[in-house]
Amino acid sequence: MKLALLALKNLVRHRLRSLLTTLGVSAGMFLYASVQTMQHSLAVATEAGAADTTLVVYRENRFCPATSRLPEHYLSVIEGIPGVRQAIPIQIAVNNCGASLDVITFRGVPPETLRAYNPEINVVEGTYEDFLNQSDGALVGQHFARRRGLSPGDTFEAVGVNVTVAGIIASDSPQDENVAYVHLPFLQQASRVGLGVVTQFNVKVERAELLQPVAEKIDETFAADQQPTHTRPEKAFFAETAKQMIELISFTRWLGLGAVAAVLGLVANAVLLIVRGRVRETAILQTLGYSRWAIGWMVVIEGGLLGLVGGIIGVLGATAFFHFKSFTLGNEGLTLALSPSLPVTLSGLAVAVTLGLVASLYPAWKATSRPLVQSLNA
Amino acid sequence: MTPFISIQSVTKIFQKGQSLIKPLEDLSLDVPQGEFLSLMGPSGSGKTTLLNLIAGIDRPNSGKIIIDKREVSGLSRAELTRWRARHVGYIFQLYHLVPILSAYENVELPLLLGKLGKAERQERILAALDLVGLADRADHRPAELSGGQEQRVAIARAIVHDPGLLVADEPTGDLDRESADGILKLLGSLADDHGKTIVMVTHDPRAAAAAHRSLHLEKGRFVESPTGHSVSASPSR
Repeated sequence: MKLALLALKNLVRHRLRSLLTTLGVSAGMFLYASVQTMQHSLAVATEAGAADTTLVVYRENRFCPATSRLPEHYLSVIEGIPGVRQAIPIQIAVNNCGASLDVITFRGVPPETLRAYNPEINVVEGTYEDFLNQSDGALVGQHFARRRGLSPGDTFEAVGVNVTVAGIIASDSPQDENVAYVHLPFLQQASRVGLGVVTQFNVKVERAELLQPVAEKIDETFAADQQPTHTRPEKAFFAETAKQMIELISFTRWLGLGAVAAVLGLVANAVLLIVRGRVRETAILQTLGYSRWAIGWMVVIEGGLLGLVGGIIGVLGATAFFHFKSFTLGNEGLTLALSPSLPVTLSGLAVAVTLGLVASLYPAWKATSRPLVQSLNA
Repeated sequence: MTPFISIQSVTKIFQKGQSLIKPLEDLSLDVPQGEFLSLMGPSGSGKTTLLNLIAGIDRPNSGKIIIDKREVSGLSRAELTRWRARHVGYIFQLYHLVPILSAYENVELPLLLGKLGKAERQERILAALDLVGLADRADHRPAELSGGQEQRVAIARAIVHDPGLLVADEPTGDLDRESADGILKLLGSLADDHGKTIVMVTHDPRAAAAAHRSLHLEKGRFVESPTGHSVSASPSR
């Protein structure tokens, strides 16, 4: 502990040098944490777990929500298929069907059914009753609301649809955080697809093992119909439709590795310069009785502290950036919210400290390997 | 009486490129406890090498060095480091204080290796600074002190952990006459009043005269001093 305090004094009292190194580390860790946030958000959106029991039924060969048109009356047939727990018809309207950073998605749903189908939706501002009572009312995901600066009572227009914000909702589902739920008949008319036509059905099955058989049964049921369907688990759909986006995000992994290498090199270089500038000082400490371990340990602590402080600034900076900027990647109407997460923040801090410690090992060895008499004469 | 420092037939050899250099050859010396000994000699005579061997910074190639009844020439590097931390105070010509630390923090450095609590460390540091007359400069950094004051802080650092042996390499070499006299007086009092055994390397005959005994080294051996100082490797007291 006493050695750690001595290492801390060394950093604090060389303010400019420590500040510049810390800034470099924080820039690298900001980039690393940003990449990790994207990777993590993608993993959450695409990796199916045992708790995922939602299927999405689209029109076969659809490219975009706009090209998927299914009769609303399919609902009663789907609800009758064994294994189906609940189903809801949804009309989708999006401002941009390609890859975009600012996707606006309207989901038209039967207002009286939404809460029963999606009980995890929590109205954090405004009320659900306001939504039920206003035909142009919208329940806006809080991620979306933050991005657009919306509050209950506000009106906004997108995709030619004018709505009034009835409430702001929070949900564990990233998709819910990025959409505006509106009344189904309202959206059908406002988007001119006409009453009785929906984009998709979201179907909840009894348990995860039933996803595949129920999907097959639905598609089989409507195969000979005028509007054949294509049914897949929600996350599989995302993984399939957002391939380009996923490739792009996967590529950022290399940026993350680059950031890690940059931080490693920066800290190693900074600590090596510190050690070289302190050859005689190190020798004096050894003369006073400081062991090679103690000297090496102090160097490693300095590197670790540089990593920690740079990591705190960079990683927390990235966390705040994604929290307040509320970026949403979208493709074909599906959205991927780039949301900060505690595991990414904690792992980012751990990586920063580890990089600081690892980067200091060689300088620490250099500091302690030189013969004492030679260092005293340096 | 057993000498505090006993150097027996010590030889030190360095390799420089292809050639071997012998700064010390078959050298013997006894120093009783509480003696203030000065070592003089021209550059390259081996006096700093001898000082480093006595301080446990370096090890001889042959011969024995016994200090306070312990043979230090046989200790490993790690053991020597631990031994130095407890038994040796080193005073450098250029003071070598850590520039970013205050006088107080510099003096504290040897104590950070021990198990003393903060209060006890504080007591010892202030006592050491008081002894060298710099209690009122505890918060000053080296850059805010004069050369003489820096050397006093270095002496406080050398004595704060109460070592029996002080080694000083040209402690007055970078000081004006007045400051140098003050430092020599302080070293004399540490030997006389506090029983420290002091070995000092110096080029300055006036500094050497302040010691109890002065030895002259040339080519790794004790020789007759050109100024007629003692050449005996055994104490006269």
